[in-house]
Amino acid sequence: MILSDLLGRPVLDDAGRRLGQVVDARFVLDGPPDGSLAAARLHGLVVSPHAHSSFDGYERTGVDAPALIARFLRWRARGSFLVLWGDLESIGDQVRLREGATLYSPRLSESEV
Amino acid sequence: MNDRRALPAPPPVAGRVLDAGLDLLDRQILDPDGVPVSTVDDLELTTPDDPAHLDPEHPPVISALLTGPILLTRVFGGRLPDSRFIRIPWKVVTDPGVVLSVGVHADSLDASWTERWMRDHVIARIPGGRHDPE
Repeated sequence: MILSDLLGRPVLDDAGRRLGQVVDARFVLDGPPDGSLAAARLHGLVVSPHAHSSFDGYERTGVDAPALIARFLRWRARGSFLVLWGDLESIGDQVRLREGATLYSPRLSESEV
Repeated sequence: MNDRRALPAPPPVAGRVLDAGLDLLDRQILDPDGVPVSTVDDLELTTPDDPAHLDPEHPPVISALLTGPILLTRVFGGRLPDSRFIRIPWKVVTDPGVVLSVGVHADSLDASWTERWMRDHVIARIPGGRHDPE
């Protein structure tokens, strides 16, 4: 599976309602050792209801400059959320979530930026 | 439901967090001597056993960084055939920082074949092209 095949896919909830499209994938280095690093596990998908892509991750970091651009990009990415791998039911032409899937803030913590 | 301000923070994780678009894609890859190898154009992930019924306990992992001639597909759309991508296994990555460091030399990776071809067939034929500047 190639990551770009996943990016841009529509995301539906368990009832078939469209929630947005995949704009990024979040990995965590906490798998079993794979060479010099831990395996990079797919932790979840960042989904945006409006934008088809994310630019520089303004909605995920505390960066607020240049102010006008930051405001525009935050507005463009409004409503973005992170859905964890465990809440994904299927991946195909569409990504479908499980019933009761939890939507999390996509914002990265200070130590992760 | 989609109001980000009302969404909870995700549960903490033990390892380092990497967002593909922010931390991996389009990053330069350097070998241990600082020689540029290529850039990360895409990522190859392990494929779930059954994409229609995903197993929550077995998420995909990154198996390789992919690099290839993607300029035309980025401009005009479409998708490069898998065979045109050159794989750099994840196991040789030593530090995913501002650049991605790999633990093997550029000459041993397929990704740098164009550089080697250019060096051997073009630069080497230019007078003085076979040694460092004096």
